[in-house]
Amino acid sequence: MSRGAFTYPPEKAEARRKMKRLAWASVVGLTLGAIALASTVGASQAMKTAWVSDLLTAVPAAALIVAMRYELRPPSPHFPFGYLRSLSVAFLVTACVLTMVGLYFLYDSLMKLVHGERPPIGTVVLFGHQIWAGWTMVAALAFSLTIGFTLGKLKMPVAEALHSKPLFAESRMNRAEWMSEGAAIVGIVLVGFGHWWGDAAAAAFISLEIIRDGWDNVRQVIADLMDESPTKLGEHALEGLPRLVRAEVKKLPWVADAGVRMREQGHAVAGQIFLVPRLDGMNAAELTRRLDEVRECARAIDWRLHDVTVTPVSALASDDPPQA
Amino acid sequence: MSHRNRRVANARVIFALALAVACGLPRDSDGTLDRIRGGTMRVGFAVDTPWVTDSSGMAGGVEGRIVNGLARSLGARVTWTHGHESELLTALHDRELDLVVGGLSADSPWKKHVAFTKPYHVDSGHVVRSLKAKRREEKHVLALPPGENGWLVYVERFLREERALLASALAAREETR
Repeated sequence: MSRGAFTYPPEKAEARRKMKRLAWASVVGLTLGAIALASTVGASQAMKTAWVSDLLTAVPAAALIVAMRYELRPPSPHFPFGYLRSLSVAFLVTACVLTMVGLYFLYDSLMKLVHGERPPIGTVVLFGHQIWAGWTMVAALAFSLTIGFTLGKLKMPVAEALHSKPLFAESRMNRAEWMSEGAAIVGIVLVGFGHWWGDAAAAAFISLEIIRDGWDNVRQVIADLMDESPTKLGEHALEGLPRLVRAEVKKLPWVADAGVRMREQGHAVAGQIFLVPRLDGMNAAELTRRLDEVRECARAIDWRLHDVTVTPVSALASDDPPQA
Repeated sequence: MSHRNRRVANARVIFALALAVACGLPRDSDGTLDRIRGGTMRVGFAVDTPWVTDSSGMAGGVEGRIVNGLARSLGARVTWTHGHESELLTALHDRELDLVVGGLSADSPWKKHVAFTKPYHVDSGHVVRSLKAKRREEKHVLALPPGENGWLVYVERFLREERALLASALAAREETR
């Protein structure tokens, strides 16, 4: 089954279910956090930045939920390569939105610093007590920070089990999010001590985090669209998987030489194996049977290998396809 | 002392500490409150009867009374500046004034440039003299310089706590009408 629908092996299916639950938890949790922040936002720039970015970090999770609905659909006449790349599509949108919003916030907060606009933060009446609104902002930020921190921590092991770049990036994003909320708390407290620039400076810092996140994701998605060879989770370094497959194929006694090229398709890895068979009087029926076997074996090497094409060729140059 | 009691006691200590910190903060970025206390309070007023009236170079009316009460509570002397709303609020934004009164309402477009207090009075039967003369709520506020959060918190507390003063000031509104 290498051209049909992609299926997860049983031990990974559990991780995938967990991923879906985490995505839902992210949407709900981050929305709650954003509501808490929005209800206390007042005139603080850092708070404004924090609640919008809270809502934004829920977008990739929502996109992931949608993408996962399509991911496992079998190939159709319109999409003969299947729907695995729906994950990349969801991520492209998210990455662009993140970057642009980050740039806008940076501009906005820098302008406030340049013009010296001072944030007025007055009082709120809570359970009959009149307290400075800064404290309720700090409380809302701490609440949202806890959510982001927990989500980030929970996502990391699942992302590693599935070798899931979208989830890994989300985990990193949650981390950037809670750290920036920590910065916002510092900003509000600075305002409390009469340092009016603390608020806008914290907002600028948060925007930088958002931009960095967005840019990282954009790079990753573009590399995916450019059919980059599989890379290690969260790194630019190439994976050893193509080399491993090539070595395995070359071990077969009837294979004289082999070359491999691969690309990531969502959570799966697709690619081509070129091999030079030792024909030794092998007939066409025997050759096709053995080529099919190679295709089946690929799945045994790594569960992510899917839609691998095996092509017999008469000769291969040493750098065809280029090896890492 | 049981565990439960101790926990309650601990919670009280933490609450008291939090309150102590909360009382010291926020501070002003320009030290307005400290300067006004026992000093002078620079107040700008634009006439808007019955909220602000002109009584020989000083503000009268509802908000004039509030300002005087505020000054009394801080042992401060008031220096009055009479002017138009826009010039007063610009001066306020540049921290050349400490307070501006002028029958301002919470939905004024100036709210982005100066700090409005929480409404001290909500007028539900206000008639807006617009094309559609409809009735709607009008939230009356005072204007403070932005970023002087210690000062802002002081004024908002004053407005909430001095209900008697506010009531007599609002009652006097009928006389000035």
